[in-house]
Amino acid sequence: MRDGRRAGEGMDRRGFFRIVGASSAAAAAAGCGKTTEAILPYVIPAEHIVPGAATWFATVCRECPAGCGVLAKSREGRIVKLEGNPDHPVNRGALCARGQASLLSTYDPDRLPGPRVREGDAWRPVLVADAQKLLVEKLAAARQAGTGRIAMLTQLETGSLGRLADEWLKAVGGRPRVAYETFAHEDLRAASLAVFGVDAIPYHAFEDAKTILSLGVDFLETWVSPVGYAGAFRRAHALREEHSARVIHVEPRYSMTAANADEWIRSLPGAEGAIALTLLRLVLESRQIPALPAKEVAALVAAAGAVDVEAVAKQSGVPVSKLKSLAEALVKGAPSLVVSGGVAASGSGGVDAAISVNLLNYALGNVGRTVRFGPSSSLSRASRYADVLALTKAMAQGEIAVLIVKDANPAFTLPARAAFAEALGKVPFVVSLSSHLDETSARAHLVIPDLTPLESWGDYSPREGVWGLLQPAMAPVPKVGPTNPDALDLPQLRAVRDALGRKAPETFPGVETKATGDLLLDTGRALVPGSEKTLFLAKSFADYLRESWRAMAKTVSPKAAFDGFWEDALRRGGYWADVPATKVALRAGVKVSAQAPPLDGSATDPALLVVPSSRYYDGRGANKVWLHEAPDPMTQVVYGSWVEVPAETARSLGVQSGDVLRVESPHGAIEAPAYVSETLSAGAVAVPTGLGHTAYGRFARGVGQSPYALLPAEPTAGSGGRRWLGVRVRLQKTGRREKLASPAGVTEVDHSREIFETVGLTEAVKLERGGKAPAHANLPSMYPDLKYPQNRWGMTIDLDACTGCQACVVACQAENNVPSVGKGDIDYGRSVHWLRVERWWDRGHGGAAATGHAAVPGGIGVAQAAETPAAGRPSARFLPMLCQHCEVAPCEPVCPVFAAYHTADGLNAQIYNRCVGTRYCGNNCPYMVRRFNWYRYEWPAPMNLQLNPDVAVRDRGIMEKCTMCVQRIIAGRDRARDEGRLPRDGEIQTACQQTCPTQAITFGDLKDGKSRVSRLSGSSRGYHVLGELGTRPALTYLKKILREEHA
Amino acid sequence: MSAPSGTERPARPIAGGAVGASPTFADVNRDVLRTLDFPGSAYFGWMSLIALILATGIGCWVLQVYFGMGMAGKRNPQMWAMYITTFVFWIGIGHAGTLISAILYLFRAKWRTSIYRGSEAMTIFAVMTAGLFPVIHAGRMWYAYWLIPYPSERFLWPNFRSPLVWDVFAISTYLTISMVFFIVGLVPDIAALRDANTGWKRFIYGLLAMGWQGSDRQWRHYRRAYGLFAALATPLVVSVHSVVSWDFAMALVPGWHSTLFAPFFVDGAIFSGFAMVLVLLIPMRRYFNLYAYITDRHLDNMAKLILVTGLVLTYFYACEGFTSWYSGEPIERASYLFKWVGAYAPWWWLQLFCNSVAPLVFFWRPARTHVPTLYVVSILVLIGMWFERFNIIVPGLAHGFYPYTFGTYIPTLVDSGIVIGSFAWFLILFMGFIKVMPSMSIVEVKETIPHPVRDGHAH
Repeated sequence: MRDGRRAGEGMDRRGFFRIVGASSAAAAAAGCGKTTEAILPYVIPAEHIVPGAATWFATVCRECPAGCGVLAKSREGRIVKLEGNPDHPVNRGALCARGQASLLSTYDPDRLPGPRVREGDAWRPVLVADAQKLLVEKLAAARQAGTGRIAMLTQLETGSLGRLADEWLKAVGGRPRVAYETFAHEDLRAASLAVFGVDAIPYHAFEDAKTILSLGVDFLETWVSPVGYAGAFRRAHALREEHSARVIHVEPRYSMTAANADEWIRSLPGAEGAIALTLLRLVLESRQIPALPAKEVAALVAAAGAVDVEAVAKQSGVPVSKLKSLAEALVKGAPSLVVSGGVAASGSGGVDAAISVNLLNYALGNVGRTVRFGPSSSLSRASRYADVLALTKAMAQGEIAVLIVKDANPAFTLPARAAFAEALGKVPFVVSLSSHLDETSARAHLVIPDLTPLESWGDYSPREGVWGLLQPAMAPVPKVGPTNPDALDLPQLRAVRDALGRKAPETFPGVETKATGDLLLDTGRALVPGSEKTLFLAKSFADYLRESWRAMAKTVSPKAAFDGFWEDALRRGGYWADVPATKVALRAGVKVSAQAPPLDGSATDPALLVVPSSRYYDGRGANKVWLHEAPDPMTQVVYGSWVEVPAETARSLGVQSGDVLRVESPHGAIEAPAYVSETLSAGAVAVPTGLGHTAYGRFARGVGQSPYALLPAEPTAGSGGRRWLGVRVRLQKTGRREKLASPAGVTEVDHSREIFETVGLTEAVKLERGGKAPAHANLPSMYPDLKYPQNRWGMTIDLDACTGCQACVVACQAENNVPSVGKGDIDYGRSVHWLRVERWWDRGHGGAAATGHAAVPGGIGVAQAAETPAAGRPSARFLPMLCQHCEVAPCEPVCPVFAAYHTADGLNAQIYNRCVGTRYCGNNCPYMVRRFNWYRYEWPAPMNLQLNPDVAVRDRGIMEKCTMCVQRIIAGRDRARDEGRLPRDGEIQTACQQTCPTQAITFGDLKDGKSRVSRLSGSSRGYHVLGELGTRPALTYLKKILREEHA
Repeated sequence: MSAPSGTERPARPIAGGAVGASPTFADVNRDVLRTLDFPGSAYFGWMSLIALILATGIGCWVLQVYFGMGMAGKRNPQMWAMYITTFVFWIGIGHAGTLISAILYLFRAKWRTSIYRGSEAMTIFAVMTAGLFPVIHAGRMWYAYWLIPYPSERFLWPNFRSPLVWDVFAISTYLTISMVFFIVGLVPDIAALRDANTGWKRFIYGLLAMGWQGSDRQWRHYRRAYGLFAALATPLVVSVHSVVSWDFAMALVPGWHSTLFAPFFVDGAIFSGFAMVLVLLIPMRRYFNLYAYITDRHLDNMAKLILVTGLVLTYFYACEGFTSWYSGEPIERASYLFKWVGAYAPWWWLQLFCNSVAPLVFFWRPARTHVPTLYVVSILVLIGMWFERFNIIVPGLAHGFYPYTFGTYIPTLVDSGIVIGSFAWFLILFMGFIKVMPSMSIVEVKETIPHPVRDGHAH
């Protein structure tokens, strides 16, 4: 020691503290590289918010008019996941892909946080109070100018908001509200009116039918109530006690619904009416119909008229024998159900088709049994397309001074020929209450964005007897600081960042606006003196809603106290009651024409089929990136639209998939890449809806093309609906190419590979009777068998139930923080989806596919098969593929650092923090389900608020894959432990299983012999994908039952 | 220093060479030390070009580390691609050196003396280049050290079932033994350099010479150690590439899962290693005017080895095809057929031409000593061997079990830049080495020359 002190005296107490203090300060200072977010504990903890514990709120999905019940999962005040409400009568716990993705409209980075006033081409943010003042001024001026100068156009609002808007319009002297739905199914309403005198869209009881004939109805995709109908379809179609309903689908296009039918009959476009009428005649001729009054039989016979079966066969492309066998199937397979009125078939001849189908159902005795007026769909309360056109005309003629648009985007979804955008230009003051700057809002003068359904009060009735209640499950999205900060955020490095083309980190200012209901109440009070005592008495829309439910409660449940009723409704997500079917009678003198009016355009050109997109719907899903990333069920295309061209037409044009075609109708033209289809009827081309936005948001803008540009403006004569089927189009090669992006490589079923397995119906029945579980490959191993002390988690997927709808894919993405990677990377095999629903083409044994895939060089491209000469039309097969959680997992031994390992409860786990990224496991997985983080993926603010706090966000450079929702397993186990019991079978559900509309997925404990999953795993239909490799997966697939033997 | 033209070639072949007067011990000292003269502008010109390519490669690597693996063209299903291809390629190159120095030493093949130092240097640098790739390839290369077993507070070991961990052992062992063998062989030569130099060079060489005095005792120990290391290195020649081949053979991928892989890889490694030796020695001989030491006999022997290993390789190619056909496995067959006709077919046929057809020219004696032919065939062999590994990895993965994920890997600028940069890295090491260390063993060359006193041949 320099100062001469003895060793051991080297440090005294003060010295020790000095050094400790200095080193802690140094350590703290060393951590000061970046500013950190302020982290503050709750001083006064918020009610409902227990950190780490989820709270669930029941509400309603508003992505389409089906109005499915939703449970919103709230963690720390943010909704992180939506799930179907199991108590809800419409969807019974399931949700579709759009429903799962609807969460993103709340966290949309392009969402308008607050009111904006347009100044020239720019938008100026204004305070809510100022925006409201401006609105009141303009409305007052419009009122001065006379009545009917104020108009309002909303989406279908069947609840209190609609009623308030109507009252408000009446009070301020506006025109009747237009409730605009793009797919409003006017033809069905017109047909019900014509045949039964009821202006309604009935409930179709698929679940009760033994024979289902669909004339071009995509009831599994978008039609009326797709989730509910998919569940009902499955209940009818499942093989139970050796019986299952027979499903026949007639359509020019091989849609997802067609692919799930037992038999798909390819018809020519617009032939649905003629087919239905012929079937009516054949059914009547069979004289095997249920007893009907003679008068009615006479009316039916009169309506059927003298149908020339031969001519119809020629006109429809369906052979006479087929028509006869269809009629026979309907007669013998009672109760049956015939449906028509799919969007692609609505328009020319659509009303006649729907009338014929009504008559046919009546003749078959289905009306009142499988076709029930009560509960009828609320879609019949939407405005007709003709009403929308009338408003457009009034706007164009300058009759409207103030137009208020809410949650509707007619500037995009109406036919370009309807000139809605131009008419908007004639309106002096357009107010948008939509939360996005979509094509319509972008033309507005003032935008006061409404809150999203998750943030607001509301109610919606999708059909009679079901009143769904929406409650604010979370506060409006708050301010979000920069997301994804990385090294280049330092000010010194900004120049480098710019040079590399990296975007600045995003922020979100936080939503500050006024909900539409409150806005209407406030403006109503300001405009109409004295109304604060009467009409607009309610202080807020929440009060208004409560009062209107009080009134409803008096009628539906007069004895109960309202407070209890209200709380119960909030907890359950609404109120529902059984609605008895109203008895309807056949009207006399029903006339129906077998001859559909001609389509616009040259008779030699193919007809245009407008296909409602199961992902984007009419276009409202286009800014939700999860929907872009989930491939289209049939084409497997992501991010983009296409023109589906029959192979014959493609050959004659010299066109291959990806060649850009100019599609020209008498009303407009688009240019979109071709998708060459082996299945589409010659004489038709098909274009999906939903894309082709010029505004709306970053994910929507500039992606794809919209068929709305091609359609005629004038409505269908019989129904006032849109002429979806209305034009023939001319195709022209442009010489440009635009590759259709797809995650799919080769999708021909190769029967030498044990991937997709089927079983015939007779065989399936035999197996059901007494088949034994097949022995799975169990190859010898050097290592001892694994022991599972408590549970072994496992799963079964019933391929007979899977419809290929992609709902599970989106649910998985939402649950597990799966990043969105973009179009190019998905196409280049860099999708990070843990679960993919693959569409395979099956040509049966002995076809081209059996010779192996080597003949397909390169093996990529979406329509490889379609470009080769047809070896018979292929059948689509849907296979959900995810980690198989193999007991002998090829990925585990090759990992050099034990990042991939087997848990004691049978999961094939991946430790993200341990992963070095050698990607050996990815190579060695025969199922190719292991995903790599090629980049650091971004969740632009406020999308990052949606991230599930129970699941790690993975860094770049590591492997990830399906965990069987291990966070849900742990949560379920913890809950059971807290209650001092073992987890019950079915209590723990994976995200994919939970959302599946047809309940194809079962999860549970394989060690528990009584569990559902154990029973199904031992099913005689069970098999393991690539089972001969001896990987012993925990996932068992149940073979698809081929019921074609019926035909 | 200008290279002599063919006509000026000094006719002084060493022992085991052809006829004529042998160089003296003094000649050897002079000729070898001459190679360490201060280089001219040509040398610096080449070095600058190579350094530029290396810098580009490093730049590409920085981009990859910063933005993520996506910058390289890898995808699903080709989770491995050019990095592993190049890794295996360089490991293969690293075989010839040890083969020449150790195995030929043990067999007392005296002709090896003039070429073994260069080949050994090539080995070390090739392994050093190869060693970069697993690190470059790892998604989180900053954790690549987790593959090394070290005592950690988490009590975590690497997974000894994983062939990648075997790789770590095999390669680090090989590198260590080769390096020690190489340095031991250098010691007497460094001592000669120390004695020939003054100033700071003398100091550095003095340190590296580790007190070598050339005493009898030192020579005795030296010989014993050298023989021991040669014996130790010999099995490694076989083991390293066998272990590397198990990266593939232990995997499930169709076309990989084969017992053929170990001998197949070892033979290919020797084949490409000899080609690389020729590619390096032929210009070196010309540049340093070492015609007296590296003679036609050496070229002839090397060409014969290339021919033999090439024929063996062709046999393995035939075996590969036969096994996939004989397996009766449709997936195995489809995977093999894909190589013939699929997206990568041109590279498959290029590989076959380079590795199976081009070396056949060496059946013809004049071709074996004809320098342009040797050079062209060696380059073709290197190209062929690189593509052989590429064709195992990339098309193999492209066409595995699961058709839905079949896909084509397309290289990007970044991974191409890194692969090309690795050649620059190798060359910069090699070219640096030949200017600071004797690229030909002074001691061993002298051993093969008749003793000036004992044999009475002194000038």
